[in-house]
Amino acid sequence: MPFFEWVRRNSEEYLLEAAQRDMARKYLQRPAPAGRRGPLAFLWRRVFTPLYRLIPWGVRRAIIQAMPGSHRRRWVGRAPPGRSA
Amino acid sequence: MPRRIVVVGGGAAGIGAAGAAKLADPDAEVRVYTEFEDVGYSPCGIPFVHGKEIPTFEQLFLATKQTYVDSGIDVRYETRVDALDLAAKTVRIAGGERVPFDTLVVATGFHYEDPGIPGSDLDGLHYVKNIRRAMEWDPILDEAKVAVVVEASPIGLEMTTALAHRGLETHLVDPRPWALADVADPDIMQPVEESWIELGVKLHWNTGVEAFVGEGGSVRAVKTSAGELPADIVVVCTHKRPENRIAREAGLKVGTTGGLIVDERMATSAPDVFAAGDCVELPHNVTRVPVQGLSGSHAYAQGKVAGTSAAGGQRVYEAVNVPWGMVAGKWMIGGVSFGETTATALGIPFVMGVADGISRARYYPDVKKVRVKLLAEPGSLRLLGAQMVGGEGIKERADFLAMCVKRGVTLADLAYMENVYSPAIGALNEPIALAAQKGLAAATTGG
Repeated sequence: MPFFEWVRRNSEEYLLEAAQRDMARKYLQRPAPAGRRGPLAFLWRRVFTPLYRLIPWGVRRAIIQAMPGSHRRRWVGRAPPGRSA
Repeated sequence: MPRRIVVVGGGAAGIGAAGAAKLADPDAEVRVYTEFEDVGYSPCGIPFVHGKEIPTFEQLFLATKQTYVDSGIDVRYETRVDALDLAAKTVRIAGGERVPFDTLVVATGFHYEDPGIPGSDLDGLHYVKNIRRAMEWDPILDEAKVAVVVEASPIGLEMTTALAHRGLETHLVDPRPWALADVADPDIMQPVEESWIELGVKLHWNTGVEAFVGEGGSVRAVKTSAGELPADIVVVCTHKRPENRIAREAGLKVGTTGGLIVDERMATSAPDVFAAGDCVELPHNVTRVPVQGLSGSHAYAQGKVAGTSAAGGQRVYEAVNVPWGMVAGKWMIGGVSFGETTATALGIPFVMGVADGISRARYYPDVKKVRVKLLAEPGSLRLLGAQMVGGEGIKERADFLAMCVKRGVTLADLAYMENVYSPAIGALNEPIALAAQKGLAAATTGG
């Protein structure tokens, strides 16, 4: 799997897992999803996710926009949150 | 010499592309390759035939094969394209024949993510995709007693409801803490869960599937992190991943989602090559994060743009706001853009308003509950997203709210919107307005 695809797949999985843990606690009083195990999962869960949450949204948005993808080609639409159209 | 347009894939995007190409350039030679036996039917309707809401699979067909012949579209059925040569401008058919094109539309669709566990090759595992396989499989449901649905994805939700309607003991297994957890919020899904329990569905949250257990080559149980579930049939409803093998091998650029990179004309990274549907990725209109694997209506509309572009016409597709809706259990759920879970995951700041309203006058027969949850950008209060659950009117509200997101409508606009009041079809207080008023109050108090 190409590098940026691997980054997206993993960051999405672990950020959603963390959000689901918070939401399950808030609304359902259910335990967190178990998720994957192993050293790589540990790094994504215990290092990447807390770090991501510390970075301000504006910086996160800039990093996301810098990734390759369709969003970097010509499209009609509105500006992302926090930035005027 | 007429323009030669080749479309690879006969799903919603491919057929949309072929029709639009012929419309834009009636003299063009439009040829569609599909590896399947049919085109022009609604695969989204398959779960409803399994659930007996729709009596026959034949009702899912929207057009006959003759319709395409009459339209001048040359559909090659059960013919797999196994390579694209973009330099020579040819596609290679399985067997070796090379077919030249002037412009190409790639509409190769999706495949279900391989669960990657032992037993994935057993008989009895069903994937909802092709109508002929569904027709062959459906009679088995008359004999089966116990069904296991693997993963509470959109198709997993529909199949769970369908199998419960069909009278099977149905188990839904998912590693996440609630249904549709990558998209929908838990408070939106809670009524759905309760209705599944009323229908007799057994729910297994935070439960991973570890293996399919077979006997004589056929599945007989599903081994999970919480024990083994006996199963006569298993429906695998894992994530839809873009089917891009031949496009990748041909060198077309792929984005972070695994979908092909396209622009607003659905043009790929190669000249004269366009793409549409589940095999591409598109920017989300609010976040600009690329997304992939949307609905059939998205695929069809993208196909129209790709086909028009391939025929030399001018048409653009826009960044997506993703209105969605479906029936799950005894409820309708839906939304637009994203909800609280996704906003929390991405770390997008938001203010939120939630309200419980009703669909008709409170005294009118069959009045239904409608919960609306709105997310807005702090400061500007522009709508970012919405989620809903209710007994009726969810689809229409999702479409309306998608337009609101697109046009930058604010909570203040929605809080005191004009709305239809007529006892049989609409309540005095529109639930969207009630949620917006709550959101305004939260924004004012900082809550």
